[in-house]
Amino acid sequence: MKVFRQLGWFFKERRREYFIGLLMLTLVAILQLVPPKVIGYTIDEIGDGTLTASSLTKWVGIIVVVAILMYIMRYYWRQMIFGSSNYLAKNLREKLFRHFTKMSPSFYQQRRVGDLMAHATNDISAVQQTAGGGVLTLFDSITTGTFVILAMAITIDWRLTLIALIPMPVMALLTNYYGKLLHERFRHAQAAFSDLNDKTQESISGMKVIKTFGQQQDDVADFTRLSNDVVEKNMRVAKIDSLFDPTISLVIGVSFFLSLGFGAKFITENAMTIGDLIAFTTYLGLLVWPMLAIGMLFNIVERGSASYDRIEQLLNEPVEIKDKTGAYNTRPKGDLSFHVDSFTFPGDATPALTNVHFDLKQGQTLGIVGKTGSGKTAILKLLLREFEGYTGHITYGDIRIDDYKMLALREAIGYVPQDHFLFSSTIYKNIAFTNPQAAKEKVEHAATLAYIHDDILHFTDGYETIVGERGVSLSGGQKQRISIARALMMEPELLILDDSLSAVDAKTEEAILQALKASRENETTIITSHRLSAIQHAHIIIVMHEGTVVEKGTHEELMELRGRYYEMYELQQLEQQVEKGGM
Amino acid sequence: MEKQATFSRKEQAAILKRLLRYLIPHKKAVVIALALLVLTVTGDVLGPYIIKIFLDDHVALGDFETKPILILAISYATIQILNVVISYLQLMKFQEIALKIIQQLRIDVFTKIHQLGMRYFDRVPAGSIVSRATNDTEAIKDMFVSVLISFVQAGFLIVGVYIAMFLMNPILALFALVLLPIVIYIIYLYRKYSSIVYMEMREKLSELNAKLAESLSGMSIVQAFRQEKRFNDEFDDINAKHFKAMMDNTKLNSLLLRPVVDLVYFAAIVLLLLYFGKTSLETAVEVGVVYAFITYINRFFEPINQVMERLAIFQQALVAASRVFILLDEEELEPAQQNKAGAITDGRIEFKDVTFSYDGQKDVLKNISFTVNPGETVALVGHTGSGKSSIINLLMRFYEFEKGDICIDGQSIKAFSQEELRRKLGLVLQDPFLFYGTIDSNIRLYNKELTDIDVEKAAEFVQADQFINTLPDKYKQKVTERGSTFSSGQRQLLAFARTIATNPKVLVLDEATAAIDTETEVAIQHSLEKMRKGRTTIAIAHRLSTIQDAEQILVLHQGEIKERGTHQELLAQQGLYYKMYLLQNGITSL
Repeated sequence: MKVFRQLGWFFKERRREYFIGLLMLTLVAILQLVPPKVIGYTIDEIGDGTLTASSLTKWVGIIVVVAILMYIMRYYWRQMIFGSSNYLAKNLREKLFRHFTKMSPSFYQQRRVGDLMAHATNDISAVQQTAGGGVLTLFDSITTGTFVILAMAITIDWRLTLIALIPMPVMALLTNYYGKLLHERFRHAQAAFSDLNDKTQESISGMKVIKTFGQQQDDVADFTRLSNDVVEKNMRVAKIDSLFDPTISLVIGVSFFLSLGFGAKFITENAMTIGDLIAFTTYLGLLVWPMLAIGMLFNIVERGSASYDRIEQLLNEPVEIKDKTGAYNTRPKGDLSFHVDSFTFPGDATPALTNVHFDLKQGQTLGIVGKTGSGKTAILKLLLREFEGYTGHITYGDIRIDDYKMLALREAIGYVPQDHFLFSSTIYKNIAFTNPQAAKEKVEHAATLAYIHDDILHFTDGYETIVGERGVSLSGGQKQRISIARALMMEPELLILDDSLSAVDAKTEEAILQALKASRENETTIITSHRLSAIQHAHIIIVMHEGTVVEKGTHEELMELRGRYYEMYELQQLEQQVEKGGM
Repeated sequence: MEKQATFSRKEQAAILKRLLRYLIPHKKAVVIALALLVLTVTGDVLGPYIIKIFLDDHVALGDFETKPILILAISYATIQILNVVISYLQLMKFQEIALKIIQQLRIDVFTKIHQLGMRYFDRVPAGSIVSRATNDTEAIKDMFVSVLISFVQAGFLIVGVYIAMFLMNPILALFALVLLPIVIYIIYLYRKYSSIVYMEMREKLSELNAKLAESLSGMSIVQAFRQEKRFNDEFDDINAKHFKAMMDNTKLNSLLLRPVVDLVYFAAIVLLLLYFGKTSLETAVEVGVVYAFITYINRFFEPINQVMERLAIFQQALVAASRVFILLDEEELEPAQQNKAGAITDGRIEFKDVTFSYDGQKDVLKNISFTVNPGETVALVGHTGSGKSSIINLLMRFYEFEKGDICIDGQSIKAFSQEELRRKLGLVLQDPFLFYGTIDSNIRLYNKELTDIDVEKAAEFVQADQFINTLPDKYKQKVTERGSTFSSGQRQLLAFARTIATNPKVLVLDEATAAIDTETEVAIQHSLEKMRKGRTTIAIAHRLSTIQDAEQILVLHQGEIKERGTHQELLAQQGLYYKMYLLQNGITSL
C-alpha cells in the first residue's frame, strides 16, 4: 500500500476528480442495494396478493430511476478515475522524457535504449493500473462489501447474515492461495515460453549451420520437445486457473444453501418473508466481487509499487553537466586551445587521454588521425562537453569552455558524428534540424556544400523524401553527407567532422573538402579521419596513439618524419589500389 | 503494421475458418468438452428450478415435511457438487485443446521456417520471424482460451436459460427473446466503435513509442544541436494525442461496456416484474417462478459481460493469425533437389560459367569457371564484396542459380539428394555459430550415430581437446548463448570439430576475420592443414599467409576471377594478389 502514499502528490493534484469519482462509486455501491430489496417487496406483495397497479408502478419506477442513476454515475466514476489514471500516465511520460533530454552521454552509455523504453512503457502502465484499477478495487471492495453486509444484517436479518458469511472467508483464503500458486506456475510457463522464443531465435541465426548439417528435421523435433514443455507448463497453470470459477460457485453455493435452509426456518417463524430471502440471495451474489477484488488488489499494488520505484529512481538520476552560476551566455569565437593532462571515462580503469595539447587559431583546420580507440573521439567529446572531469584546461576565445552556458557553447559547434543518425522525417527537416522554419535556399545551400543536393533531387520526393528507420534506405555516404549539411546549416564557429567522410568516395570527399575550405575561411574546423586524404590539407595534423599525441605537424612535415604517419600513408595508397582491383 | 488491422468481414471469416480447421484433429476432445459443457449448463439451469420448487411447494405453503425437503436438498447439493467437478474438467479440457492447437500451429510455423530459402532470411528480419512463431501464436492462444471458450460457454448458457424459461413460462420466455436482439445490437455497436477507437489507441501508442525510441537513440544529436525543447514539444504533442485516444477508449468502455449491459439487465427485470405483477392482479402467481426467472436473467447477463470485455483480444488475434498464415503461405522456399544422382565419391568440383545475382539486377558473380580436383585445395581471395561468399552460398545450395552449372563428380549439384549433399559437404562458417547447450552437443549436434568417443576423436583431431580438457566440466561444459564465454579461436576450433565429426568428402571453409589470439591461431592453422588432407577444399582466405600451399588461388574482383595460379605464380605477376600480399605483410617484407 506504500505506492498509494507515494502517489499522494498525484491524488492531491487530482483531488477533485478522485473525490467525485469515489463519491459516485460510493453512491453506486448504495444504489445497487435498492433493486434487490424492491424485487423482494414486489415478490412479497405478489405472494400476499397485496400488489396493486399503483404499487407495481411505484416499484418498477424506483428500479427504472435507480438503473438510470447508476448508469450515469458508473459512466462518471469511470471517467473520473480511469481518466485520472490516463492523465497520470501522460504526466509521468512527459516527466521522463524531459528528464531523458537532460541526461548526459554517460547516462546513455550505462543503459540500453530497450531498458529505458521498458521503463517508459511497462512501468508507467503498471503505475497507471494502480492509480486506476488499484484505487477502484481497494475502494469499491471495501464500500460494496461493507454496504452489502450492512444491508443484509440491518434490513433483513443479522443472524442469517452471519450464517451466510461463514463460508466467505474460505473463498478469500482459497483464491488468495490459488493466486500464489498461479503466480509461481505462471512464471514457469513464461520461462518455458521464453525458452521457445530463444530456440526460434537461435535456429534462425544458426540457419546456415543447420542447413549445412542437414538437421532441419532434428531441429523441428527439438522444437517440438520444447513446445511440449510449454504445453505442460501451461497445463499446470490451467489446472489452477480453472479452479477459480468452480471454487467460487462452490463457496457461494454453500452459502446459498445455508441461507435457504435457515431462511426457510426464519420464514416459518415469521421472522422474515420470501421476498426478503430472495433479496438476501441477490445480495450474496453482490459479495463475490469484493472477495475476489481483495486478492487481485494485492497483485496490482505490488507491481505498481515496484514500477513506481524504478521510475522514481530514473527521475532522481542527477543531471551531470550543469551550467555554472554566472556562466557566459555568448557564442564562443576565436582561438581554440586544448590542454588536457589526463582524462578517464567514468567507469574505465585506464585514462583515455594523457598529455594531449594543441592550439588552433581561428580559421585553421586540425586533422586528427589514429586507430580506433586511440583517443580521437575522446578529444571531441570533451570539446562538446559531453564529459567533464579532466585535468588541464580547454579554452575557446580565451574562456574556459565550462564557463560558457551549455547552450551557448553548443550553438557555436557543428558536430557531425561517426554514426550518422538521421531522424524518421523528411530530408528537408533533417537538414534544417536546428531551424525547421529555415528558408529553402539556405537548406539547399548547405546540401550543395555537402555535395548531396544533386542526390536529393534524384529521389522521387526530392527534399520531401522520408528517411530514417521507417523511410527509404540511403547509402552510408548519403547519410554522412546529410549529416554534414545538417551541421553546416547552423553556420558553426567550429565544425567537427568525426570520421564523417569514411563512406564517401575519394572524388566526393575532395569536393566536400574544397567547398568547406572556400566557405569557411574564417571559421575553425576539426576533422578526424581514418583515411589520410581527408586531413592531408589541414593546417595542423596530430597523430594519436594510445591516448596521446605521438606526431604533430603538417602533412609535409610528417611525411618527412618517416614515422607512423608516413607508414599509414603508404599503406593506404596500396589499399586504394587493391580496392580498385590493382589499378 | 497496425494499419493492416482492418479486415473485411469475408477476410475475417476466412482467417477464423482456417484457425478452426486446427480443431479437426481434436474432434474427440472437442466432443467431450462440449458434452461436459452441456452438463454444466444443465446443472446451472436445474439449480434455480429446484429452489423454485422448494419456495413454491414448501416455503410458500408452510409445508415442511422432512422427506421431500431432504430429497430436494440432497439433489440440489449433488447437482452443485457435480457441477463444480464437471465445470472444472470442462475448463481444463478446453484449455488443453487450445494449448495443443497452438502447439501444432507453432510446429507448423517452425517447420515452415526450415523450408524457407536464405533469400527469405535476407529479406525479413529475424526478430519478426521469431514473433510469428511465438508472440503471434500466443495472441491466438489468448483468443482460443479466453474468447472462443467464453463465446461457446455463453452461447450454451443462453440457450440453456431460454429452454428453462420456455419450459416454465413460454409467453414470458418469448418476451425475454426481445433481449437477444438488443444485446446483439449493443455488441455490434461496441465492436464497431471499439475497433476504431482501439486501433487509434494502438496506433498512437506505437507512434509514441517510435518517437521515444528514436529520441533516445538520437539523444546525442538532439543535445549537440540544442533541440531539446523542440523534441519535448513534439513528444508532448504525440503524448497528448495518445492521451486523447486513451480517453476516447475509456469513454467508449464507460458508455457501452458493463454500465450499459447492466442497464439492459434492469430493463429485463422491470419487464419481468411488470409481467408477473400484471398477471398477479388477475390470477395467483407462484413466487418461485418469479425467483427462477430473475435468477435466469442474472445468469444470462454474466457471460455477455465477459464476452464483450474480450472482444479486443479477438481483434488482435485475427491480426496475429493473418500474419502467421502469410508466413505459412510463403513461397520463397529453399532450392529444390532432383534426387536423381547417386553418391559423391571423389569430390571433384567444377564451376561452369556461373553467373548469379541476389536481386535479379546486379550480378555478383560473372561467368565463374574453375575446377577443383579431388583432394586439392582452391583458395578464394578478394576484397569485401568481390563474390567469394557467393561462390560458397551457391555450392552449399543456400541460393538457387539459373545461369551456368556447378558439378560434383561430373553431375550437377541440383541432381543430388539433399541428404547426400549435406553428408559429403562440410562447411565451416566465418562466424562459428555455437548453440545453447554443451561442448558435446555442439560438436555432435543432433547426430545420434556419433558415440562419445567419436566426439572426442573429432575434438582431438582439430586439437580442440587441449582447451576442452582444461574446462571444469570438459565435454559437458555449458555453452551459453552464442558461446560468448569462449574466445573466437576456441569457437572456431569447435566448429572444426563439428565438421570433422561428420567426415565430409568436400571441405568448404570461410576463414574467420575476427582477431584470434596467437595461442589458438597456431592450433587453428595446424588443424586446418590436417583437415584438408585427403579432402577437396574450397577456402575463403582473409589472411593470405594461410593459403600459400593451395594448389590454386583465385583472386576475385567485383564478381570476376581476375587472377589465378599458385602463390608463387601470382606473386611473380605483380598484380592484385601481389599488392594484397604487400598490404598484409608490410611493405618491407619483400
